Amino acid sequence: MMSLLAATAINWHSIFFLLFALVACFFALAVLFTSNIVRMAFYLILSLGATAGLFFLAGAAFVGAMQLMIYVGGTLVLLVFGVMLTAQQSFISMKTKGGDWILAAAAGGTMLVLLISIAFRVEDWRAGRPDGDQLTAADVEDTTRIGAAFIGVRTDKLDVYDDAAKDGESEPDAAGQLTLQGMSGYLLPFEIVSIHLLVVLIGAAYLARAKKRAPARSASTTQR
Amino acid sequence: MNLLTDPIGVSHYLAVGAVLFVTGAVCMATKRNALGVLMGIELVLNGANINFVAFGSKLLRSDSFGLDGQLFALFVIVLAAAEAAVALAIALNFYNNHTTIDVDRADDLKG
Amino acid sequence: MQPAHIPLLLGAAVLLPLASFFVILVFGPKMGHAGKFAGNVATGAIVGAGLLSFISLFIWLGEHWPEKPHHGGHDEASSGEHGGQHDNGAGEQEKSGEHRAAAKRDRAPLVMNVAFHPGHIDEEPTADEDAAQHATDKDDGEHAHPVYTGDYYLLGQFGRLRVTISYYVDTLTVVMFCMVTLIASCIHFYSTGYMHDELHDFTDHEVHMSDGSHLHRPGRYHRFFQYMSLFCFSMLGLVLAGNIAMVFVFWELVGICSYFLIGFYVERKSASNAANKAFIVNRIGDFGMIIGLMALWTGLGTFSFGDVPRVDPQTGAVVKDDHGKVVLEPGIFSQVRPGKDEHPYGPERAHELIVPDGMVQAAASERVVAIVRDHASLFPDHPEDADAASQAQIEYETRGWRDQGYGYWLLVIAGIGIFCGCVGKSAQFPLHTWLPDALEGPTPVSALVHSATMVAAGVYLVGRFYPVFAPEVLLVIAIVGCITLFMAATIAITATDIKRVLAYSTVSQLGYMMLSLGVGGWAAGLTHLITHAFFKSLLFLCSGSVIHAVHTNELPQMGGLLKKMPYTAITMLIGCLAIAGVGFPMVIFGGHGIGFSGFYSKDAILEQAYSFMQTNNSAWSAIFFCAAAGGAAITSFYMFRLWFLAFVGKPRDHHRYDHAHESPKVMYIPLMILAFFAITVAWQLYDFMPESKRNPANLNLVYLLEQARPAGTEAAAFGKLLTGTWPAEHDSHALAIRLPVTLLATGTWIVGIGLACAFYWLRYLEAEDVRKTFQPIYRFLINKWWFDELYDFIFVRPVHVISRLAAMIDRRYIDGLIDGSARVTRWFSSAFEWVADQTIVDGFVNLLAAWAYALGVSLRQVQTGRIRQYVLFIVVGAIAIFILISFFWSPETPAR
Repeated sequence: MMSLLAATAINWHSIFFLLFALVACFFALAVLFTSNIVRMAFYLILSLGATAGLFFLAGAAFVGAMQLMIYVGGTLVLLVFGVMLTAQQSFISMKTKGGDWILAAAAGGTMLVLLISIAFRVEDWRAGRPDGDQLTAADVEDTTRIGAAFIGVRTDKLDVYDDAAKDGESEPDAAGQLTLQGMSGYLLPFEIVSIHLLVVLIGAAYLARAKKRAPARSASTTQR
Repeated sequence: MNLLTDPIGVSHYLAVGAVLFVTGAVCMATKRNALGVLMGIELVLNGANINFVAFGSKLLRSDSFGLDGQLFALFVIVLAAAEAAVALAIALNFYNNHTTIDVDRADDLKG
Repeated sequence: MQPAHIPLLLGAAVLLPLASFFVILVFGPKMGHAGKFAGNVATGAIVGAGLLSFISLFIWLGEHWPEKPHHGGHDEASSGEHGGQHDNGAGEQEKSGEHRAAAKRDRAPLVMNVAFHPGHIDEEPTADEDAAQHATDKDDGEHAHPVYTGDYYLLGQFGRLRVTISYYVDTLTVVMFCMVTLIASCIHFYSTGYMHDELHDFTDHEVHMSDGSHLHRPGRYHRFFQYMSLFCFSMLGLVLAGNIAMVFVFWELVGICSYFLIGFYVERKSASNAANKAFIVNRIGDFGMIIGLMALWTGLGTFSFGDVPRVDPQTGAVVKDDHGKVVLEPGIFSQVRPGKDEHPYGPERAHELIVPDGMVQAAASERVVAIVRDHASLFPDHPEDADAASQAQIEYETRGWRDQGYGYWLLVIAGIGIFCGCVGKSAQFPLHTWLPDALEGPTPVSALVHSATMVAAGVYLVGRFYPVFAPEVLLVIAIVGCITLFMAATIAITATDIKRVLAYSTVSQLGYMMLSLGVGGWAAGLTHLITHAFFKSLLFLCSGSVIHAVHTNELPQMGGLLKKMPYTAITMLIGCLAIAGVGFPMVIFGGHGIGFSGFYSKDAILEQAYSFMQTNNSAWSAIFFCAAAGGAAITSFYMFRLWFLAFVGKPRDHHRYDHAHESPKVMYIPLMILAFFAITVAWQLYDFMPESKRNPANLNLVYLLEQARPAGTEAAAFGKLLTGTWPAEHDSHALAIRLPVTLLATGTWIVGIGLACAFYWLRYLEAEDVRKTFQPIYRFLINKWWFDELYDFIFVRPVHVISRLAAMIDRRYIDGLIDGSARVTRWFSSAFEWVADQTIVDGFVNLLAAWAYALGVSLRQVQTGRIRQYVLFIVVGAIAIFILISFFWSPETPAR
């Protein structure tokens, strides 16, 4: 407390981190503890939005923007649709038995303690980068590079290539050497993901299409 | 260390990620509403995503993973969207067939 | 008043309750109606003792103001290797600073008896006078550990063994005196209100006579106070005792007083059984203690704790050497931890634990006999020369024997033996079963037994004998404490009797103290002893007030009492907050924490356990910390469960609720006093105060106790028979340890109280559901881990079986051998048929089939088809993988 008063400068980066982290964690816990499905969806939006803030603070502006657009804008809208489509009075809030809560809390608590203790165990990770505030926007501006990486060019790895050349290793012979240095980028995964998305779209449309209920089957299952 | 004056490190991001991850896992284990389980999955994926971004951030560590962290995070976001779409379709199908959304009723695979 | 008067004052404080006991014993029944005045006599005596104790404390503070213990300052290697560098202890100064101290202080000869020897003072010369000289032989900061020791009265002298009534006064003694007398005073006042039923003829509704009516007997008000006085006398005497003979006598007196008081309602079968149980179980522990004390006495040849002047057996005069200095007989502590002039390994290892010469020689008795025989054959004509020569050689050889490890086992056995006694008194696993049954006594007795006297005696004795304990003994203490604290905490969750919850909570907290002492946290453990005494006596008196109001112990029949008895409810809430260790860890903002007294002591214990875990960096040392942290969460859960069940919610039994009322003033004012101390007793204000000599900020419990820290225990200790490091306690105050531990401790009370709120206040979760889910565990806990049944099965039943067997043999002989043998033959043949054919042949085949079937059925149950359970399996599996990896895989450079 004394040192707080004697503190020379408040680190606003840390303050904002604390703010976003607390919002994210608080609303995540709110998702967990509310039993009303509509509120859960709303809290989830807030928690994921705060997470996007954390991404911005970590310098990953593009990822943060994507988080807001895809997640908060897309995925959660999907979820809210799901909530609306299934929202009958009896399903709005379903209570879980206390025993299940305790079991899950015990397992989850143990895991939380493990994860956090591991997170703080590595000395290197604990302290922030002391010269972090001297970085310019150009140092952390990654959007173009991400785009390039998706089409297979790792501009951020060029210095690795330069270093190898400086060390007097053999003169790189264009593409082959670049591949060895990890310059392949993410072209193939990018393609696979795009195909995957297409498959998912078709699959989801097929699964969720309106169809006639099989009367005998549903009757037997609902009675169970 | 003092949280208000010192720069935060990777560990703090990992801690937030751990909280989101565990909250999501517990959410999956306790919610009876299939959509609640789905939200738990989203939380878990986000917790993992925070770790990716933290490890890739140049602001937190000078020898970070670089772009790989962010790229992985992007893939996770996209795949989460795909997963949500399919899972939602399954949930709707389940709702249509069983007229309930309670996952405890979906125990046809009981041994 | 001079500090040399402190032993006199404390001696008087011990004798006051004894006087009260005798007065009530003789005149009790004549003291007013049903001995009403006896309560005033006993209360007056204990209040007088309390005043004397506090006067002593103030005199002490006037002479030895506590200083801030030096924290950090030397790295681990140096503190380990040269463990005893801080030669700030009892025995050693005596040699270096004896005449200086004598010259400086005109010691008043307190002549009480011809055999009384002037109390001499072991203390560090103050820094300003001797700074120059001490700068040479002290290499780091130091603080004084003043001790006053001496004899009141010589009972007898046998050779060099003196049996005396002596005292050993340091801050631990003074603080214990103040704590015991203060709490006992509150309890006495409270009892005058609580026991008013005993003032007239008393009808005991729990005792049914043969004709179906209830027992009707005259009140026993005076007898209650008579025993209370004796109890206080025994406890104070134990604390003051300066030698092990006295310790043992007062130890047994404490035991017998608890026997009287637990069995106060002697007509009740349960009460007399409980008293017997307490006494017998304590006997088991005391048996070990006698062994330990005998081992100590055999090896050391003295009863005395501190150094006392040597007295010539013939003349009775104090022996002086050529320079006119008083020759000192080394006491137990300076024999096991010699000062730098006496230490066989040289001055730089002063106060390090060694095996004393006597123990080495006792263990190497074969070698000793051989030497004596050799010399006897060498000098057949001069037996006295042979004696002298063999004596010289034995002394010469002793060091070599010590290096070979002779006698170390004896030291370990002595330590474990003494600890056995403490296990019995302090209700540690496996002898904890008596304490919950001891609730049969009146509630004020429970409060006294559970806080200030009986159970505190065990922990106090461990703290007192701390210099004698080898690291192996400390490990035993830590293991026992760890098991106790966890087991008792789990049992307390399911108990429904309000006093039973508190009783198991006491057992659990005592386990904390033992664990702390066992992992090297001397000051932490004893601080917890003091803070726990305050909040536990408060909690018991509050529960007594509740029971007084609603006439039941059962929590399920209470509820909503907050409106009816606000004083009790609020003070009990304070007690619960204190025992849960509620406080705010300001350490994240760079300051110290602020909270209830339990916050400080529990944090200190957790810090030491964490430091122990970090130093040893192994799985077994992590168990101690995990059990302590888990136990902390469970503690706050069950305490708030109790409070919510009793005081909030809707009343569950309207008849009892309507009947309830706040207790009289004489009962709730002691509650307020105790609540005040439960909040403030451990407050540490040094964060807010400027540094100076006589700094008022140094006047806190921890620094006071640090003054009494036994010499040589500041440093880290290393096991000889097993590998392990007991880190120095001040290392645990490093920020790298304090920060995570404080945050974790805060997390534990938040989790515990939050869970209790969710279950019993907000009713967010249903306790009934949980009980159903965990039915086997619940049954295990509600049956108290089946300890009583286990002991019944192991010890009681065999005796029954053996006696029945004996009876049967008798009958067989009377019935006739032939008849018997015929029956045996028939039985044998049918048994053979049954055993061989039906059981073995058929059974084996059936067993295989049954196993296969059971395996299939049990595996099938795992496949519930429930997605939520599968998620849980994944989480548990991930945790299991983490834990397995941490066991089998260790990094190249251990992470510290």
